[in-house]
Amino acid sequence: MIKSFILPIKELIKGLYTVFKNGFKKRVTLEYPEKKKLLNNNFRGKINYIKENCIKCGICQNVCPLISCIKIDTDFSIDLSQCIFCGNCVENCPKNALYFTKEYELAVNNKEKLILKEDN
Amino acid sequence: MEVISQDRILDINIGPQHPSTHGVLRMVVSLCGETIININPIIGYLHRGLEKMAENRTYLQYLPIVDRIDYLSGFFCSYAYLNGIEKLLNITPSEKAKYIRTITMEMNRITSHLLWLGCFLMDLGASSPFFYAFIEREKIIDILEDLTGSRMMYNYYTLGGVKRDIDIDILNRIKEFSDHFETALKEYEDLIEGNPIFLSRTKNIGLINKETANQYSITGANLRASGIKKDLRKDSPYLIYNNIDFEVPVLNNEDSFSRFVIRIKEMRESKKIILQCYNWLINHIKDEEIKSNINFMHIKPEGKVISEVESPRGLLQCIIHADGTKKPYRIKWRTPSFYSVQLINNLAKNYKLPDLMSIFGSLDVIMPEVDR
Repeated sequence: MIKSFILPIKELIKGLYTVFKNGFKKRVTLEYPEKKKLLNNNFRGKINYIKENCIKCGICQNVCPLISCIKIDTDFSIDLSQCIFCGNCVENCPKNALYFTKEYELAVNNKEKLILKEDN
Repeated sequence: MEVISQDRILDINIGPQHPSTHGVLRMVVSLCGETIININPIIGYLHRGLEKMAENRTYLQYLPIVDRIDYLSGFFCSYAYLNGIEKLLNITPSEKAKYIRTITMEMNRITSHLLWLGCFLMDLGASSPFFYAFIEREKIIDILEDLTGSRMMYNYYTLGGVKRDIDIDILNRIKEFSDHFETALKEYEDLIEGNPIFLSRTKNIGLINKETANQYSITGANLRASGIKKDLRKDSPYLIYNNIDFEVPVLNNEDSFSRFVIRIKEMRESKKIILQCYNWLINHIKDEEIKSNINFMHIKPEGKVISEVESPRGLLQCIIHADGTKKPYRIKWRTPSFYSVQLINNLAKNYKLPDLMSIFGSLDVIMPEVDR
């Protein structure tokens, strides 16, 4: 009878101890817009395009898992609103015309701005 | 048995957008008072046609999509898919690639179990263990992000190995994590295992006996909590599990609580495997062969193959039917959650409605894997 009273109190104290212990630990979160996490060089962010290197072989279009993300008719363009950042196009480009940047805040108020074209 | 008249039965609808269904599961529950009489789980709200998508994509194009089958443990799906292709093309990954695959997969298993732990306790109404589990999970995710370039959709494995070599800095961080992880596991055990609320809501609730488990083809931790010792890593070792010393935890209690204990024990075993892989990799840091030289773009395998892997949720199979062209003829996925979700009617019958989510949470079902 007494045991059934003591056990919950013991567990309650144990739980509170854990909460307070974690309260005094080093903070694990970052205050996002002011402080940002340092990113590794491998990070797959926004894709950039170097026009001079491109030979328009079409490999990036053939390895992309999406059907209408990369387009090469006369001009080269990537639709970043569809892109899943898998990295297939960057890895398989024979002339290194595509590379990843560390930019990841891609919210815009016009969808057209996310279509990466040759001239920008 | 008491016959309940129809006018006392109330059908209510739970989901598909309910916070504790771990995705988009819809359940039509028949209630008499608060007692559950029947549950009809309805799936398909997250169906993306991943099996059909394979048929009009090349093998390389399908590779990033494979990670989306189970977003909590993407490495396992990638491995199952690539292992099938490697079997068809007779490619054997180098020893170092095998070790890197193992260490990353075991880390992925820990992240998956930690997320389950947090969400399961959240279902039971405890919110602070969720944050403690996420602190540890975040450390692994950070390591994997620096190694692969992405936090969850890794796309890191390639034909005959992995895309990028693991460097000494990342290995040291893995060691640091696994040294510290034991204290975190102890903290979870101390905090949760003795808690009277947790015990009263999980002990002797949601029993899966051996017969039911076999009838429903349950695999993984749910099966091992019912007293059947089956683990693909021991039964037919793949990768380098032959050389590694680890145990398969088995419990006979068959209830929700034993499913919790088994997953904690599994995390401890995964930590052991990670340390052994670390010891091997640190001695072979200069080995350079990590992938095959065959161009993934132009492969044309032929034949049928089944490749299996022990994922955090159970036995994951990828069945590839290749017909000698650039695109697969048919790919079929056998995912463990699909079998677990059907158990819910059997388990939660005759329990009260608030128990439904605790029982369902203990099964570790995630919906993208069910619907594919």
